[in-house]
Amino acid sequence: MKAFRAWISRFLSPGALVILTIAVVTSLIVASLPTKEVKGIPFWISAIVHYEAYTPLIKEWNEQHPESEFGITLLNARALERRMLSGFLSGSPVADLIETHLAIVAKAFLGPVDEIGFVDLTERLHREGIYDQINTPSFAPYTSRGHIFGIPHDVHPVLLSYRADIVEAAGIDVSQIETWEDYFRVMRPLMRDYDSDGRPDRYLMTASETRGDVITMLILQAGGSLFDQDDRPNFNDPINAEVLARLTTWITGPKQACTDVPAFTAAGHRQRLDGVVIATMTPDWMAGSWKIENPGLSGKLKLMPLPAWRKGGIRTSVAGGTMIGIAKTSHHIDESWALIKHLYLSPKLAEHMYRTTTIISPVKTLWNQPFYDEPDPFFSGQPTGRMYIDQAPDVPSRPSSPYNEAAGQKIVSAMIALRAYADSNKIYDEPTLKIEAQRLLDQEQQSLVRLISRNVFLLEDKTP
Amino acid sequence: MNSKRTAQSIVYLMLVVFATITLIPFAHMLAGAVKTKLDFAATLFLPAGDGFLGIGWDRITLENFYRLFFELEISRALLNSLFLSSVHAILTVLFCSMGGYALAKLNFKGRNFVTTLVLTALIIPGPLLLAPGFQLLYQLDLLNTYTGLLLPGLTPAFGVFLFRQAMINGVPNELLEAARIDGAGEARIFFELVLPLVRPMMGAFLMISFMGTWNNFIGPQIILQSPDLQPLSVALNNLKGIYGTDYALIMAGTLVSIAPVMCIFLLLQREFIAGLTGGAVKG
Amino acid sequence: MKKRLNFAPWIFLAPFLGIFAVFTVWPLIHSLFLAMQQTYGPGRVEWVGLHNFKFLLTDPLFWKATANTVKFALGSLFIQLPVALGLALLLNRPSLKGRAIFRLIFFAPSLVGLPFVAMLFAPIFEQRTGLLNVTLHKFISAWDPNFAWTQNYIMTALIIAALWMYAGFNMVYFLAALQNVSKDLIEAAEIDGASPWQRFYHVTIPGILPIAGFVTLLSVISSFQLFELSYIMLNDTSGPDNGGLTIVMYLYQTGFQTGDLGYASSIGWVLAIMLITIAMIQRRILKRHEEY
Repeated sequence: MKAFRAWISRFLSPGALVILTIAVVTSLIVASLPTKEVKGIPFWISAIVHYEAYTPLIKEWNEQHPESEFGITLLNARALERRMLSGFLSGSPVADLIETHLAIVAKAFLGPVDEIGFVDLTERLHREGIYDQINTPSFAPYTSRGHIFGIPHDVHPVLLSYRADIVEAAGIDVSQIETWEDYFRVMRPLMRDYDSDGRPDRYLMTASETRGDVITMLILQAGGSLFDQDDRPNFNDPINAEVLARLTTWITGPKQACTDVPAFTAAGHRQRLDGVVIATMTPDWMAGSWKIENPGLSGKLKLMPLPAWRKGGIRTSVAGGTMIGIAKTSHHIDESWALIKHLYLSPKLAEHMYRTTTIISPVKTLWNQPFYDEPDPFFSGQPTGRMYIDQAPDVPSRPSSPYNEAAGQKIVSAMIALRAYADSNKIYDEPTLKIEAQRLLDQEQQSLVRLISRNVFLLEDKTP
Repeated sequence: MNSKRTAQSIVYLMLVVFATITLIPFAHMLAGAVKTKLDFAATLFLPAGDGFLGIGWDRITLENFYRLFFELEISRALLNSLFLSSVHAILTVLFCSMGGYALAKLNFKGRNFVTTLVLTALIIPGPLLLAPGFQLLYQLDLLNTYTGLLLPGLTPAFGVFLFRQAMINGVPNELLEAARIDGAGEARIFFELVLPLVRPMMGAFLMISFMGTWNNFIGPQIILQSPDLQPLSVALNNLKGIYGTDYALIMAGTLVSIAPVMCIFLLLQREFIAGLTGGAVKG
Repeated sequence: MKKRLNFAPWIFLAPFLGIFAVFTVWPLIHSLFLAMQQTYGPGRVEWVGLHNFKFLLTDPLFWKATANTVKFALGSLFIQLPVALGLALLLNRPSLKGRAIFRLIFFAPSLVGLPFVAMLFAPIFEQRTGLLNVTLHKFISAWDPNFAWTQNYIMTALIIAALWMYAGFNMVYFLAALQNVSKDLIEAAEIDGASPWQRFYHVTIPGILPIAGFVTLLSVISSFQLFELSYIMLNDTSGPDNGGLTIVMYLYQTGFQTGDLGYASSIGWVLAIMLITIAMIQRRILKRHEEY
């Protein structure tokens, strides 16, 4: 033994020996570990709340359908995107059922239509009458060149959630508010600068030049758009310029009333609790996330329809979306279709979803369910579900372009440039800003068109 | 005499200040790892409370570690990291020492050519090979396998270079001559004579290789798709994607990811630093 | 020397040569062709000639990435290296107790690894509750605790993180270099009546110049390949207005998120050319100094 030790130490210092031992031991373990087989037909999802909601339902399904058991896996969104694309493009193993965010799904629409990795569901939807049961605009992000590749999980209307405790204590009556102009005028007295350092400590709403989600929500509400119905870039729509210009006056300059409060970080939750902003544009899923992440807000908030962009305009917008689709490579297409119907059309899931995440179902026939009308203590007893459903018919439609993410980034770039322009030239009136906004948008439009026209795989002509 | 003393004290002071600044992120991580999610943002380090020194000792918790190991199965990622790093380290040391030996001590036609090849390879930037390398692995059907991840990096030119440097001066030609005259085969000479003479460099390169693989992110991110195969770097980032707001959990995960390398380093300190700087100073 | 029939060297070199040929030379050649193609994943490939490079020249994202990367490289060069040198000088003082411990402490961050440093620093840069903002606000009351590091000042935040990580690493090199500077030369200068500053400038600096050159080159080259730190700290995105986009991140995005391996290859080549140019310029500068 001693001789062996002496022999070894001629070659390896103690540290090196440790590494060698680890190598040997781990190799043995790895070789003997069975590859983890997820039992059942693979089903990938990327939203943690869905995972918690689906698991009991899938268990029930598996018990009733032992011949088509499903195994659900929760993946990080980017990981799901990578594996999905890798599966569609390089043939690596991909799940049969995939449920994920619209931004990720759109990336599968980059190539020719018949090469899209999802099964075309258009015929099935119409044949079985399901298409008419679901809120029509909600299909838009998952429809490419006229073919529908997924069923929407949600509608995601947007309401304005506001600190009722602060607003009502100041004696302000929100029912008078019809447009954004009304809103800022009525709420202005609530702005505060506690430490008199010239920097406001309480703002009226969450918004900033870096919040692409807020910018897009406003653009959609105002009737603008990033792409037209044929997925061609539509940046230089004058309505978009109008939105960017007006938003600039909200976030900077003499009429500044908005600041960025991060949506998902601990710091953001803290700030919301402290009342750094009075109101936030809140899609249904965000309301649900706050109930879990920021329970301290319960009873302090109320909801109201978004102030309209102009008199008579729609009082809502849309943000986010999840769909479920079937991979073409699946050997269990019919079973997958059955599971989708079971999950998405069932009142039980709709109720479970609503109760755990506040998300309303896109299935119109379920909108009369009583649980949507229940008083919600988080929002001071308001019927949250009903309020969101009331806005559902007005929810704007969205494109399914794979360049959606790139477009979103460009809008943010334009907004940042516009704000810088306003601040360095001290120009804060809308009409002048609108001209500069239009110029910036034209630039971004050209840039995006160039990017798209580079793609040799999109066989249709995309240039306007 | 006094000015020298004050100079020395100033130096010490500055060193202590810098050392403290360097250690702060570590302390932040340690404190964060034992806090609950809600407590994380409330205080910078340990949770405030009524205990000794104003610290809420009762609120220190190991629940993050519990979750990592029992619910989130980080042990698999840990195993993968240990496996990939150690196997890679052993194999690279073996192959690079072989190559370095040939270039340093064996005379043959083409020695200069291969040496130039090695030096040129040092200049090639990694990212250049990412895209074509990925496509090659796809064509060889090695995507999503350990082999695909390890094979391309088994003989880094840097390693061959380091061993060559170490052996040129560290292995006396007379010794080799004598062994050959005694009739020893080349393999025996290499394993029994040469390797023990470069023990420090072996230790150093083991560490360098181990660390390189352990901390490698882009490689596994691109090549390994199955969660079962992914090492800590990718697995922890995926956790961050799902539980992004739970910094306490991520801090605990980071601690688990850093600790093994730190421990091994403590054993291989001297050799590691000597190996690193040796290549630069003499080269 | 007896020249036997020499299989031995080739056997010893076989692993290196084999892997080098298959996984370095072949992909290198292939990437020249890939750069002239457009792909949708590794399976679908179309020839586009020089179009990738033409597009690259006017691609605003690529230039944004380059600007960001250069900013980071300069920040690293002019902040990290002096700090590393300073630490080395402090540690180099004779009769310093506890040198080994200090060295270990300063070196420890470089063991952490880029992805883990990014995860470690993400909460530090948080608004309002992050370590950095809270501390700065404590010492400078005018500091806005809401300072949005990861929104508007991404590169600065990354420079800080990289400084923490690499200062000690570079310090070790400088320390080795300083300890190599001939003590006789310094003593001679002292005897000649040179002041500490003169000694430093005329003896020490030239003495460490070769290693300093090596460290600088290494630092610049690795700064240009910045990816993990930015990608992970910004949660797999490139930040608002692409403030965190770096050249390698852009390569990763185009190659592995969009699936165009061809464009990614062309970016890779441009990066390689940039690095080779920098290396050559650096060699020129050093040669001139050595000729002194």
